[in-house]
Amino acid sequence: MTSLMTSPSGAPVGGVPLLEVDDLYVEFRTDYGVVHAVNGISYTLSAGETLAILGESGCGKSVSAQAIMGILDSPPGFVTGGEIRYKGSNLLTMSAKEQRDLRGEEISIVFQDALSSLNPVFSVGAQIGEMFRRHRGASRADAKKAAIELMERVRIPSAKERVNDYPHQFSGGMRQRVMIAMAIALDPAILIADEPTTALDVTVQAQIMDLLAELQKETGMGLILITHDLGVVGEIADRVAVMYAGRIVETGATDAVFSAPAMPYTEGLMASIARVDQKGQRLNPIVGAPPNLANLPSGCPFHPRCPRATDYCPTALPPLLEVVPGRYSACHYAEEVLRDH
Amino acid sequence: MTTETLTATSGSGTSSEPLLRVEGLVKHFPLTQGIVFKKTVGQVRAVDGVSFSLDKGETLGLVGESGCGKSTVSKLIMHLEKPTAGKIFYKGTDVTELSGKELRKLRRNIQIIFQDPYSSLNPRMTVGDIVGEPWEIHPDVVPSKDRQRRVRELLERVGLNPDFVNRYPHQFSGGQRQRIGIARALALQPEIIVCDEPVSALDVSVQAQVINLLEELKHEFGLAYIFIAHDLSVVRHISDRVAVMYLGAIVEIGTEEDIYENSAHPYTQALLSAVPVLDPVARAQKTRIMLTGDVPSPANPPSGCRFRTRCWKAQDICATDPPELVDRGQGHPAACHFAEAVKIVGGDTHVPEPTTEISAPVAGPDGSTHPSGS
Repeated sequence: MTSLMTSPSGAPVGGVPLLEVDDLYVEFRTDYGVVHAVNGISYTLSAGETLAILGESGCGKSVSAQAIMGILDSPPGFVTGGEIRYKGSNLLTMSAKEQRDLRGEEISIVFQDALSSLNPVFSVGAQIGEMFRRHRGASRADAKKAAIELMERVRIPSAKERVNDYPHQFSGGMRQRVMIAMAIALDPAILIADEPTTALDVTVQAQIMDLLAELQKETGMGLILITHDLGVVGEIADRVAVMYAGRIVETGATDAVFSAPAMPYTEGLMASIARVDQKGQRLNPIVGAPPNLANLPSGCPFHPRCPRATDYCPTALPPLLEVVPGRYSACHYAEEVLRDH
Repeated sequence: MTTETLTATSGSGTSSEPLLRVEGLVKHFPLTQGIVFKKTVGQVRAVDGVSFSLDKGETLGLVGESGCGKSTVSKLIMHLEKPTAGKIFYKGTDVTELSGKELRKLRRNIQIIFQDPYSSLNPRMTVGDIVGEPWEIHPDVVPSKDRQRRVRELLERVGLNPDFVNRYPHQFSGGQRQRIGIARALALQPEIIVCDEPVSALDVSVQAQVINLLEELKHEFGLAYIFIAHDLSVVRHISDRVAVMYLGAIVEIGTEEDIYENSAHPYTQALLSAVPVLDPVARAQKTRIMLTGDVPSPANPPSGCRFRTRCWKAQDICATDPPELVDRGQGHPAACHFAEAVKIVGGDTHVPEPTTEISAPVAGPDGSTHPSGS
């Protein structure tokens, strides 16, 4: 590893969370009305930890990540409330330059679609090397050398020969490795992976997940994994935050949540998936479809689809409260739900 | 069974002859160079000798990774592509070369549901027109005075509000659009529906709704499905029998239980092992196999066994002799010289093989090593 790759900030301070998202609100002001994409979510991430943000399309999981990275399309997207603190300082009040310096250096992101996230007219080596040229002022030759090392680190075979190849010359899995190489180039403290394996085949998905876990072990970075795949969450996340209609509706240690969910939505998701390890009975899906974020149901946004809903649910929004130590649920009947498992 | 006896039973669908049978199906796409004077420089062997049969009321799952040829198989069955070689028998009759009127008659009985509910519906047609359009080509199925009523019935059957007949596709969600596609496939009362990744574009909770609907329809109308998907869990859930494809060929075929509980081909085992498992107990029991590298290009597949370049069991024989798809004592056919039944997931009765043994680096047939991850 060259000296270019070591982070100037050093190891994070023990005990203090690396990242704190505190009551974050994001909305999109469109011609058709205001879409409330993120409605007051809070979570923390420590060094070396993997937090999965799980949810269906349109639940606001990617938007919250874009807000952290400061890459929200604005307009129409606006952060309308809350704080995002990195090692105690609020990203949202920083100047554009301060934010830019942090991005890539301290927090970086891997997107779902590697083909459209890479520039087709630059070689992958140039794109990985750009991180060093932009942030470290490295020379072209040094940047290329560092790019080759990174490509080896993400296990791209014959990196030296392939450094001048273009994105289209790589397979889907290899392109995702290139994206990961760019993301970890400057040894960030936090890596956000937004559906990193959704477009990939299952055997390649396993390779990429393995790579992320290994890199995390090496560097001790905090990993935020955004996904809709419950299996992937189960395999690699320490903690999971389940999102629905722009809110976190349940959070806790992954195995605890999946062995005894405390929110009917999590219950419903688990009953919806076919299992590879046993021939299941009839699936028990959640009725209806996710709500329109421009026109959310009153009270608990899940109540129109919830088998446990009572007359009370449409009248009051349930806050995310601790049910048992370390487990939070946004359901008026969380204790009952938990007891049923 | 010989071809002569098959033709004798043509059309009647006797008990011994399956509803659909494909034999040695091959589809090569030419690779061309040049703009005006195209010259063929190679062949993409998308499908390279695929044989299977489908009984009435049965669901055959076709599973494999992208580029393995599963969608090309569906297009060949639908007569959307002409096979390079091989035959397709419908109720014992060879339908490979059909055209014109005869082909139209056949197509009535084999319908398809596509993956993408957004691009497979015409945005300028109302839902009623989309679902009723098949009757323009097959007017004898439903008399014109009954059509409006039938469309409403079909919409209701797939779980859509029949009052939506005059709406356009963009007014529906992904799951609802997939239901429209299903209603259109049902319009001609087919016997076989080819489902090409019917739920992979849908959200988890909506996926389950569509899978349940497909299962209900199967029982209600006695449909046979060819269910093509890359999601092994979904395929297990819905299929009676499963065929695993790799680089244009079936590497293993058997009942759902054969494939998922006693997989014999290393590729099937690796695929099963790669599926992320939610349940912590089942996950702990899972045998871990990590494949290295990517699927080779179908334009230039490896000699002998196509899987050998990624296989930890590969020996010299694998580079020279393509393994036949036969039963080597595992109770179902697998195309591997070293087939051995292993339970990869949900192993409560069978002790999984030690991980170290499976992931140990082995010398490949070309002398190189293929270290598998731990």
